[in-house]
Amino acid sequence: MSNHLSIIFLILILLPFLTQSFSPKKVLILLDDFSLKSSHSLYFTSLKNRNYHLDFHLATDSNLKLSQHGEYLYDGLILFSPTVQKFGGSLDLNSVLGFVDSGRNLILAVDESASDLVKEIATECGVDFDEDSGAVVIDHGSFADGDHMLIASDDFIDSDVILGKEKIEAPVLFKGIGHALNPVNSQVLKVLSASPWAYSANPESKLSSPPSLTGSRISLVSVVQTTLSRVAKASETLCLVLPDNIGFRRIKAIALFSPDDFKILQARNNARILISGSLDLFSNRLFKSGVQKAGSSTNEELMGKPTFDDRYLRSGNEQFTTELSRWVFNERGHLKAVNVRHNKVGETVEPSMYRITDDLEYSVEIYEWSGTSWEPYVSDDVQIQFYMMSPYVLKTLATDKKGLYYTSFKVPDVYGVFQFKVEYHKLGYTSLSLAKQIPVRPFRHNEYERFLTAAFPYYGASFSTMAGFFVFSIIYLYNK
Amino acid sequence: FFYLVRVGHPINYYLQFVTRFYIHFTAEQVVYMAIVGSFPFNSFLSGVLSCVGTAVLAVCLRIQVNKENKEFKDLPPERAFADFVLCNMVLHLVIMNFLG
Repeated sequence: MSNHLSIIFLILILLPFLTQSFSPKKVLILLDDFSLKSSHSLYFTSLKNRNYHLDFHLATDSNLKLSQHGEYLYDGLILFSPTVQKFGGSLDLNSVLGFVDSGRNLILAVDESASDLVKEIATECGVDFDEDSGAVVIDHGSFADGDHMLIASDDFIDSDVILGKEKIEAPVLFKGIGHALNPVNSQVLKVLSASPWAYSANPESKLSSPPSLTGSRISLVSVVQTTLSRVAKASETLCLVLPDNIGFRRIKAIALFSPDDFKILQARNNARILISGSLDLFSNRLFKSGVQKAGSSTNEELMGKPTFDDRYLRSGNEQFTTELSRWVFNERGHLKAVNVRHNKVGETVEPSMYRITDDLEYSVEIYEWSGTSWEPYVSDDVQIQFYMMSPYVLKTLATDKKGLYYTSFKVPDVYGVFQFKVEYHKLGYTSLSLAKQIPVRPFRHNEYERFLTAAFPYYGASFSTMAGFFVFSIIYLYNK
Repeated sequence: FFYLVRVGHPINYYLQFVTRFYIHFTAEQVVYMAIVGSFPFNSFLSGVLSCVGTAVLAVCLRIQVNKENKEFKDLPPERAFADFVLCNMVLHLVIMNFLG
């Protein structure tokens, strides 16, 4: 009897581990007050349904901590606390930025009452909110429900990875502040931009000068995707270069690692950050409300397009935020490249050096995370460069649709130290920057052809002198 | 053609032929190298050197064998010829090695 009990007990203990194929991701959600839990309940339940373990806390909770004993407790952070001046517990600006640097994801939503702390987090990520703290985005052309500050926008970024395969039909309702992107930063993308006749200004005060942030330059929702590059030399030491253009951050130093540390370096970065100028974007109210863009028909008439009644029963907010959160939490478009291999055609061993005009093969495996498992990534635009100061060979890799990308080419007639470079930066996908160094040597003196065509006259001259000497000596000796 | 100048002893005729022909040959090789480029430079050198070398050795033999030459009055012509043959052997050994 006790045996049975112990077995049942054991199974009950192990059951959670048996049924799950992967552990749920833990997300920390910081709120200004707990009424947000109910007013944004639809968004939170959509996250819970995708197996995220949500941890709600007040932003000023004194027990807050992101990491314990050097390990991070959460995989994602959602900041729905625009008014917080100072985080509670052990959280502050640097700890949040360190969280993001470690490759974990962040969703940040602000509104008109955004504090300096929250705006500074956004600035460090590469996004500049309007300096005027009372300014909101006003659009007299595409607003909804008579409120010129509740704007409806359907100017989405053109990417299936970020926004999902289904097109978002209804416009997205937005009420909050706008931001501009640093034009130098290539990692920040505008996901939802305002219409060309929107502007950012304080509705209470009269405009004394034209607003600085206008039109499509205003980004309502943007994402940042940080990149990592890994360089591996054939001599097996690894060199890690960290991103240097995320917002206004300082350039991080180059660190050298030994092969033992290799495991730690896998996919360290590639964090995704979502920054939204409106907290109401995620709220139940805007999810459920219908949209009819007031004034849209007159604009269409002006542009000569046919007008029709574009009244949508539900705004596109729910689909927009759900798909975006799928992308931000790495359920889509998250790539990893493993198993970089190269060898001479016909061999399987990876040589430490190639010779000019050798034939070689290169292969790499690329997988995409589907939320539950690594699926093969299928695409026809991954390219390999054989690079020394400039690419001598640039080829598109063929794929076998199971994740293996391969090609073969001839080493160019130049010797030196080359790199196999794969630079894959596709919109919405993690950036792949793989580089593997390999030296290329010229011919050894016994690898040339035996008789060179160019040297035939010299061969002829030498042999003819020999023949001449031989003939002459015969004549000389036998001449009477 | 000026290879065929007859100067007294028939041996001289042959020697002059050899000298002049091979110097002409050297000039031809240099011109060829100027056109094609010096890619197998070792082959070029060995070709040029074989021509020049045999010409020089032929001249030496002619000097030593010529009876009117005061310096080599006591030198038996067989000795001169033996030197000639030996030096040619060495020359051709070097050339074959250097030809690549």
